[in-house]
Amino acid sequence: MKGFVRRRLLWVGLLVAATVSVVSVFPVWAGATTRAAYLTGWLLFGLMVLLTGYNWFKKIPYLPLGRSELWLQFHIYAGLFTGVLFFLHVGGRWPTGWFELGLTILYAIVMASGVLGIFISRGWPKRLTARSGEVPFERIPVIRRELRERAEALALSTVPEAKSATVAEFYLRRVHDFFGGPRHFFSHLFEIRLPLNALQNDFTDLKRFLNERERQVAEQLVALVRQKDSLDYQHALQLTLRLWLFIHIPITYSLMLWAIAHIVLVYGFSAGAR
Amino acid sequence: MDTVHFVIDKPQRWDSSFDPEMSEGAVNRLLGIRPFSEMDVTKFSKRTPLRGILKNDTRIRRFKNGEIIVRAGDYGSSAYLVLSGHARVVLNPGLPASMLGRRKSQRKGLFEIVAQLWTNPRDPEVRTQAELVQDTGVKARSSTKGAGVFLQDVPRILDEHKTAMMSAGDFFGEIAALSRTTRTATIFAVGNETELLEIRWQGLRDLLRFDDHLRHHIDRIYRERTLATHLREIPIFKKLNDEQLKRVIEQTQFGTYGDYDWSGDYKRLAKEGRHTPEKETIIAQEGDYPNGVVLIRSGFARLSQKFGHGHRTLNYLGAGCEFGLREIAHNWRQRTDAVPFQQTLRVIGYTHVIVVPTPVMEEVVLPTVPEGDLPALFTPGELAETEISDTTRKLDAGAKIGPELMEFLTENRYFNGTSSMVIDLERCTRCDDCVRACATTNEGNPRFLRHGQISGRIMVANSCMHCADPVCLIGCPTGAIHRGQVGGEVLVNQATCIGCSICSNNCPYEAIRMVEIREEDGAFMVDKDMKPIVKATKCDKCSDQIGGPACERSCPHGALKRMDMNNLDAFARWLHR
Ligand code: SF4
Ligand code: SF4
Ligand code: SF4
Repeated sequence: MKGFVRRRLLWVGLLVAATVSVVSVFPVWAGATTRAAYLTGWLLFGLMVLLTGYNWFKKIPYLPLGRSELWLQFHIYAGLFTGVLFFLHVGGRWPTGWFELGLTILYAIVMASGVLGIFISRGWPKRLTARSGEVPFERIPVIRRELRERAEALALSTVPEAKSATVAEFYLRRVHDFFGGPRHFFSHLFEIRLPLNALQNDFTDLKRFLNERERQVAEQLVALVRQKDSLDYQHALQLTLRLWLFIHIPITYSLMLWAIAHIVLVYGFSAGAR
Repeated sequence: MDTVHFVIDKPQRWDSSFDPEMSEGAVNRLLGIRPFSEMDVTKFSKRTPLRGILKNDTRIRRFKNGEIIVRAGDYGSSAYLVLSGHARVVLNPGLPASMLGRRKSQRKGLFEIVAQLWTNPRDPEVRTQAELVQDTGVKARSSTKGAGVFLQDVPRILDEHKTAMMSAGDFFGEIAALSRTTRTATIFAVGNETELLEIRWQGLRDLLRFDDHLRHHIDRIYRERTLATHLREIPIFKKLNDEQLKRVIEQTQFGTYGDYDWSGDYKRLAKEGRHTPEKETIIAQEGDYPNGVVLIRSGFARLSQKFGHGHRTLNYLGAGCEFGLREIAHNWRQRTDAVPFQQTLRVIGYTHVIVVPTPVMEEVVLPTVPEGDLPALFTPGELAETEISDTTRKLDAGAKIGPELMEFLTENRYFNGTSSMVIDLERCTRCDDCVRACATTNEGNPRFLRHGQISGRIMVANSCMHCADPVCLIGCPTGAIHRGQVGGEVLVNQATCIGCSICSNNCPYEAIRMVEIREEDGAFMVDKDMKPIVKATKCDKCSDQIGGPACERSCPHGALKRMDMNNLDAFARWLHR
């Protein structure tokens, strides 16, 4: 059995064991005390603090606190386990009142963005690698500018050389904007090739009106268009691989603040304050 | 009227002389001194006359009292001849690392590690006083004439350490220069009148080629000082008694293949978009009679086997590996059923080898080896290529990691890395946690680029690989770049680095960056001419951190690994994890 499969089975096993234990013990607690919700609440909060700690852990890599890989595994499975605790804590009912609703929505966003994060972190690197054209994210604007400059120079070169403005006009009308910035973001995310194919088809149509020299230039422009499309692909996927964290982390902190307020309110307005 | 010019065909390496200021007068003086005065000039080729070698491949250097000439543990590409004055060689045990311009390995304590939470400066590349203070036993100085490291208390060193005197006519440093191994002892100047002739390795090679006397002299030293120690370390020679070992040493041949300056050559090819030179010299060829066991002493060689109409790389062999033992041991036991070499051995870049001829192996070495320690016999199935033995399977790293990856590692010379940074692109989410972790752990700047050559799903990032053959060490004038004493990592001592960029220009993998350093208040440090102070920076494998490489530890997806490329089994396991 491969290492990754073995690891997944181990963590899933732990998650199932923890879930079964808590779910089977909870009715006993609930029967024995009226304060079972306090227990699940504190368990849930404690776990959320640990999960938030992962972000802090990343900021102090020089402390010998173990491997990030292990922490992430814990983060994922403990994160999923909070779902079980959350369900038990709210007693399986829909929240009442705007405060509880806010708390639930924040929790749902954090959970959903986390699950989305796992999904894209596992699947998208393979897509990026298969498509080739690997490029560091911060280099993308520089490369895009270089491509645009080369494309513009090529398109303009046909005017004096072929004594015709057909390619230059086509460039202005159909291609100029394409090179202007990242394009077809969602098409790339969902692996839809329609925009690229449409542009390539327009080039094919154009070739009927071109002489030999212009045709050569058009071929070179198509090659640049493909390179730019690959770059947009890298941009779209790499950006999303970073962007989901911009939802997951700030909402996590909001959730924590909301949860603290929730605890204060619960203790302030109940007998538990004593 | 046309003027006829006599154009002298100047060999390429003399396009840049070792010392452009070497005068004819100085060459005339050298020609009158032993051993050059005793050399037969008619034996030298027209393209490389003795005078030409002295003019282009040597330089005269003067050393001051206490100045270190060569340091134990350094890599050097020159040999030295004492012209006048004296030098002293420090005998075993040598000088401590701190006296040689290096730092003792300084792993941070737990408190220092935690204290980084509040002591790490906000600005990048800040150097504290403590980091820049040189050890008291040594001082690095640079001037317009060059840079050097000076021992501060010579009388005490002479008192506390055993040394031997060297005077005019003595030769040293030739073995390390020719075999690309480390200097075995430290030698420093005594008195202010020490004058040495430094001969770069290309000149030394030609002097040996054309002068029998010098060749025999160096041959003898090599056999006496180096071979015996080296052979004793190899299991198959362990059981030899002194008499037998002497016989083996007498018969052993050694040679250097390829280009010593392979890194420069490789850099040029890489810039042109090619990696492999058209031709790799063959050391031993598949199908040939096995005339000796080849022991690789330094550099690397490619092990390949015929496959269809071409050759398939099975593995690469580095220092300490052998070739041909199995065939010779087989033939010794099965005289009627002799086999030729089953694989081909080619030079990659540069290789220094020792060859123990078959008759010596058969008469002296093999009879001392217990039957159980001999390599397995070839089976008929193996010879008919219908089955693969365990030995071949073990050796065939190409089959484990795939032929394309094997070729990729070989072409890019990545086998040189004892701690290469490999990234599995199918798991890497391009999150740059590794880059940030490296920057946080190392003066605010990452010591690597998360970018590099790619083959399939594997990227070898541009980070120091802590090479088995660290060419960056050659030529550092102060010895600031050196191997650490514990893990063999290549480190730069910030106190003695003078910012000359020699290491950075030498590194074929672009792993060293020169940076302008800052004071603790964030201002750039300048010298007395108001020029910024520059230091070499590179990955130090986080050798001062308790947890080890921060980049590897901080990758959330287990995509990044520091790998010893000489252990392809471990690499294969990681690939198929
Ligand atoms: S930390 Fe790991 S996943 Fe992130 S960029 Fe570095 S190697 Fe890739
Ligand atoms: S700096 Fe370059 S040559 Fe030196 S050990 Fe690192 S990768 Fe090798
Ligand atoms: S080992 Fe340390 S210094 Fe080297 S690249 Fe990794 S984090 Fe940076």
